[in-house]
Amino acid sequence: MNKRQGGLAISIQDIALIGMMTAVIEVSKLALSFLPNIELVTFWIIMFTLFLGPKTVYAILAFILIEISLYGIHTWVIMYLYMWPLLALVVYLCRKNDSVWFYSILSGFFGLFFGAFCSLPYIVIGAVDGGIRSGLVMAFNWWVAGIPYDILHGIANTILMLTLYRPVRMLLKRLILLRHST
Amino acid sequence: MAENQEKKQSNKKVLIGAAALIAVVAVLAVVFFVFREKPVQGHKSITIEVIDNTQSSTVYEVHTDAEYLRQAMEEAKGLEFSGTESEYGLMVETVNGVTPDYSVDGAYWGFYVNGTYCNYGVDSQPIEDGDAFVIKYEVYVAE
Repeated sequence: MNKRQGGLAISIQDIALIGMMTAVIEVSKLALSFLPNIELVTFWIIMFTLFLGPKTVYAILAFILIEISLYGIHTWVIMYLYMWPLLALVVYLCRKNDSVWFYSILSGFFGLFFGAFCSLPYIVIGAVDGGIRSGLVMAFNWWVAGIPYDILHGIANTILMLTLYRPVRMLLKRLILLRHST
Repeated sequence: MAENQEKKQSNKKVLIGAAALIAVVAVLAVVFFVFREKPVQGHKSITIEVIDNTQSSTVYEVHTDAEYLRQAMEEAKGLEFSGTESEYGLMVETVNGVTPDYSVDGAYWGFYVNGTYCNYGVDSQPIEDGDAFVIKYEVYVAE
């Protein structure tokens, strides 16, 4: 593998690309922020990981920094720090798959289990005061309260991926070709 | 032939994936309905009895967390009342469509709690668990 293209080492061109990826993720998140748990962040992280590789992690970190500058530091920062890189990692491991259905179902599962994974920090937060049992109860209750939104998240993710995967894949392929030809 | 076989295999995987997705949605829905925070019934149980101008009585049982009578009256299903807002709170004029006119015959709505005349208006009359309120159509007769 060409280290410059596929690894984590970055060039000036990569910095520009990471900036664009971050901007696309942030703008699409803000554009849909009035709809609860309907977002394009999952979609873009999957697409960028597929076509631009591990460097997407830099865009994820930049995205989290922008979110912190907008909304301040809270528990969601911890969740974002492992949730989005985890998604990128799973997609990177499955990157040979080219099926719209595969990524739609993957996006769906990611949305459905988003709340469950995000509840993990509450095990620690709850355990600080009342022990591990209290932490588990706190995380479980927090997860259950958000299940309707997780279901909405999963369904929306599936539909968005089914709708946008093919046209965006075509555009990104062109972008890659253009990048390689310069 | 091999291509067809591969396509069939791929379709099967998609179907399994979609079915798993739907199954997870169903499981999550069940977990939510079983373990969600259930609405808690009000901690105080009180009764509000309305005795109108025909001496007809209607009793409302209310389970409430309300601190004052007005909110409990608003929560009583079927009980309708209205009046004029004043600096002392709501002056109840109409209860279940009946409006006594004190200026004509000295009629008014009397409010009782556990058999004693209420000292406060509906906005400041405190309620306690087990209280029995009576809203009675009464006529003042000068002695």
